Amino acid sequence: MTVIDIPFRVDEICKKYDKYDIEKQREQNAYGDDQFARLYGTFESEIDSAFEKSERAAFEQNRAVSVALNAEIRRTKARLVAELPKLQKLAHKKVKGLSKDDLIARGDLVLALQERIESIPDGTSGGAKQSAGGLSTSAPNNNHIKFDSSDGNFDADYFQQSEESGAFRREYEMHRMKQDEGLDVISEGLEQLKDLTHDMNEELDRQVPLMDEMEMKVDRATSELKNTNVRLKETLFKVRSTRNFLIDIILLCIILGTVSSDATRRQPKFFIPTLATKDNAHFRVVIFPDGAFKSIIPFRHGCVMCQASYYPPQGHAADPIKFAALPW
Amino acid sequence: MSTSEPDKLMIKADKMTKLTLTRWNADWRGATDLYEQAAVAYRRANDYEKAKIAFEKASKGQEMLSSPWDAAKHMESAASLAKDLKKWNEVADFYRRASELYNECSRAQPASDALMKGARALEETAPEEAIKLYTDACVLLEEDGKEQMAFDLYRAATSLYIKLEKYNDAASFLLRLGLAADKCNATNSQCKAYLGAIIVYLYAHDIEQAEKCYNDCAEINAFQGSDQNRCAVKLLTAYSEADVEEIKRVAQSSTITHLDHAIIKLARKLPTGDVTARNEASKEQEEPLDENDLT
Repeated sequence: MTVIDIPFRVDEICKKYDKYDIEKQREQNAYGDDQFARLYGTFESEIDSAFEKSERAAFEQNRAVSVALNAEIRRTKARLVAELPKLQKLAHKKVKGLSKDDLIARGDLVLALQERIESIPDGTSGGAKQSAGGLSTSAPNNNHIKFDSSDGNFDADYFQQSEESGAFRREYEMHRMKQDEGLDVISEGLEQLKDLTHDMNEELDRQVPLMDEMEMKVDRATSELKNTNVRLKETLFKVRSTRNFLIDIILLCIILGTVSSDATRRQPKFFIPTLATKDNAHFRVVIFPDGAFKSIIPFRHGCVMCQASYYPPQGHAADPIKFAALPW
Repeated sequence: MSTSEPDKLMIKADKMTKLTLTRWNADWRGATDLYEQAAVAYRRANDYEKAKIAFEKASKGQEMLSSPWDAAKHMESAASLAKDLKKWNEVADFYRRASELYNECSRAQPASDALMKGARALEETAPEEAIKLYTDACVLLEEDGKEQMAFDLYRAATSLYIKLEKYNDAASFLLRLGLAADKCNATNSQCKAYLGAIIVYLYAHDIEQAEKCYNDCAEINAFQGSDQNRCAVKLLTAYSEADVEEIKRVAQSSTITHLDHAIIKLARKLPTGDVTARNEASKEQEEPLDENDLT
């Protein structure tokens, strides 16, 4: 058996032998059968708690808290006072196990209880303390309206309250003034905004039909532009066909040829390139100064043969002196 | 010489348009081209007189070619040149002619624009003419149903009237502005126009007229619920109570600050004249009424 088990076991044993505990039984029995006793018990507990609260209220600095506590106490007292007659009725009931003396004693107990309830301090006994200096709040039970508070203690409290409340009131007024000023500024700004937005609204309304017209015109213009583009593409396509390109190139070559021939007529030029043919025979091209050129293919026997000669258009004969038979 | 080029063009163009034995039909197309070129050349050379003439002839040519749009454009150019030359009567004529040509194209907006340009050009020198031009421009736009464009014109005309110190006319113009605004549901402009009219009357120290005006305007729903209405009420009560400070304070308020510049200037100068006479005048009016009631 461990240490932890000990208390459990002890409890079990106590529970078992509780029925032999006379006092406890009496209490339970008494409370179980005797309504008076039960009620009395609750009364006592409530009175005790009320006393505690009143003590706390007496020492409380914060007036709000003390006022709240006192109000609670008063509520409790009123409730208890209302339930006292019930207790009295129960007191006169006969319960088994009680003697006549006990019954009388119960009646006395009830009366004593009543006195006790009324003796709980709830703040109304010190009436002048509750009355405010500057403000008009006062406890509802306060019937002591003193115009002439000659009590020295109350005077001290009196001035303290009026100072505080006066300061609070001044602060409140100041805040309210500041708020009013701020609200004035805001309202001015809002007025300006309103005027501006009204003007903007009208301007936009004015421009809506203009935009519609513009849209229509721009649409028309774009469609016309598209049409024109398509037609232009077709035209260009026709102009740029391949056949026309070739013709252009050939004509260009001819023109260049004529131009170059005209340009080179007066200058002597020997230009002898070597060209190779298919069967590895060499032939040379000789260009005469007048623009004619001959291609020369050699034969085995050393004689030459001219082929593919070109004569200049003006019929100048090739100058035979310049004709060169070249060794190779 | 570069200046003779346009001269040559002009002479050539003139020849083309003159009908002679050899020429049975005037060649307006070629002539117009030449005229335009000559006009541009003149303008570049800063020879405004000849440029103006060239533009006139070009415009005539375009008319003959039945393109009123181009004709009107040339007319406008001629008019602006005339303005530079300070020939005011010609300016007015040219702009009017341009606007007629625009009307032929059934384009009311450019027509009124032309008149507006003319009016602006003539503001300093011939204000009555300018006002006529403004009025015609407004009429053109209203006929075409584009009242919204007319607001600016009305405002310009009003400021011109105020400059001429014709306050009744100014106020009536403002009321016309209010009417135009009503047609296009521009309530803000409408209320501002009415408030402006009331202020103009007060400035002219015609308080009865101002009150009458206010009573007329108060029947309009849009005006009743507006800030301008409240401002007008404050102003009129301040006048009837002869409270100069109050009048000045109302004149500084933001509602008035959002009106037209010319009207703000008037409002700041309120009150004009003696305000206290108001109460006595009203009392005098009451007495004859009392007599009538008794009998």
